[in-house]
Amino acid sequence: MRLLAMESEQFENGDVRGWLPVTPMFTGPDGGPRIGAIGMLVDALGGMRSITAAAPEWAFTADMSLHLLPTGPIERLQADIRVLRRGRRTLVLEAELSADGDRPAGLALLTFAVVPRPDHLVNIVIDTSPGRRTMSRLEGDQEPPADYHRELGFIEESTGIVMVELRPEVGNTVGALHGGVHTALIDEAAASLGRTLLGPTATTTDIHLAFMELGFTGPMRAEATLLGHPDPAADRVGAVVQVLDGNDRVCSYATVGVSAR
Amino acid sequence: MTDRPAPSFGEGNLRGVGMSHYLPMPIVEIGDGTAALPTTRGQFSAPAHVLDSEGRLETGMLASLTDSIGGMTSGLACLPDWIVTTNLGLRRSPDAIEGARGTGDLTIDTQVMRRGRSSVVTRSTVSDSAGHEIATSLITCAVLTPAGGPPPFTRPVTMNHYELNEDPLYRLPPEQFFSLEGGSHPGEMLLHPAIHLRNPWGILHGGSVAHLLDTAARCVVADRIEPGPTPGIIVSDLVIHFMNPGREGPILAEASVVGRKGRDVLVRVTARDQGADGRLMNAAAMTVRML
Repeated sequence: MRLLAMESEQFENGDVRGWLPVTPMFTGPDGGPRIGAIGMLVDALGGMRSITAAAPEWAFTADMSLHLLPTGPIERLQADIRVLRRGRRTLVLEAELSADGDRPAGLALLTFAVVPRPDHLVNIVIDTSPGRRTMSRLEGDQEPPADYHRELGFIEESTGIVMVELRPEVGNTVGALHGGVHTALIDEAAASLGRTLLGPTATTTDIHLAFMELGFTGPMRAEATLLGHPDPAADRVGAVVQVLDGNDRVCSYATVGVSAR
Repeated sequence: MTDRPAPSFGEGNLRGVGMSHYLPMPIVEIGDGTAALPTTRGQFSAPAHVLDSEGRLETGMLASLTDSIGGMTSGLACLPDWIVTTNLGLRRSPDAIEGARGTGDLTIDTQVMRRGRSSVVTRSTVSDSAGHEIATSLITCAVLTPAGGPPPFTRPVTMNHYELNEDPLYRLPPEQFFSLEGGSHPGEMLLHPAIHLRNPWGILHGGSVAHLLDTAARCVVADRIEPGPTPGIIVSDLVIHFMNPGREGPILAEASVVGRKGRDVLVRVTARDQGADGRLMNAAAMTVRML
């Protein structure tokens, strides 16, 4: 996530705005940011927003939907996160996405499960004061990699199947596969399937994702299968993507739309 | 907008079963009823008056079916507790949203994918009578202990095996059955929560809400105020978050266009219970395709 160089700003009411500088390492065929990278931003900002919304309890992402609009090449993707509902056991957030701050770029909805604060986080104090922050940055004079997914260690095993070893760089605070990496892995597997059916411009445009289990045992792999039948005249396909751990346990499950742009 | 009186039909014993008479789908549990993660199959017999001119069920009503079977199957995994749907996603196969594929009677196979301490996730696969997969749906439910306990079941479950109900209520076109009324501009839509649109606990059925939200989304794209068919315009995928129950009514849905991507339109829809201080019930995102 450090490679994405994201920034955030927390407001007095707890709402969060964040920015993803768009670089060629994660752009799609139309020059706009890929949904996997946007999922990283939304998941991270949602996590920030959940801290104050769920306090004094804790919250885990349970599901996320992302619908993107084509942006073409842009400099910055912005996400504005707000709380739709804080219930006793669930928290629902909405993220409005915009391109360079003025054009609509999509919509995300997230559900968090509200749980008692885990023991290892009881004494952790997280700064949620208003203000702007750098969420991640490249180190020193580090150059951004050419391909973000390759840098994460994604390997396309075959059409629609992408795997990644479970290394600290793709893990979350408890050592399981990071929620944002789930999204990127699903994006890559769906796009792989889409390229075979729709051609090289195939792009994942929307994801409905449910997180099922924490993935602690690698390698993790995403398997995309076509929804319905291939249509030679189609400009898009639907797919089902499962992310499985090294024991073949389903850790997340998604349905995905892929378009030829 | 008018605050028209609630319909008088559907009193008494139709409460809680109205939706299953309008969208008839006998359900059977697969196996001997002892599986920790149950699987079920629903057979939807498509009445002509709920289908579009090609013979296809609108996406909101398809979501209503997956909500019914997904919720019931989730509940079986939680007995003696029960569930409430918190999130429903449905995606139609792009090759089955026009033409003959995906029309007529449907089979819905549902399996529980995860039963956690506080939530259940189910997946439903929808097939047409030729066996083509035409949609898939993912439902998350929260586990709760309902007042009065769960519905009574004998395992393995068989349910909704009704005789054809002759009440003219069940022959109405969808916009009348769901008691819809156009608002002040395209995308604004009202639902009056008649008793036949409620579940056994008196809460507006999730499927009623799904149809309301779908209709509002199609109408904002079609630039029309009144509910009804929108030929050539179909919701190809939807995600609905159920945040608060609908109890009072009227329920006001508001759909707005977020943006366009070729023949697809991204629409945001909300529903609020006007009789409960405008409480937010639902938020949804939908892709509406112009065929």
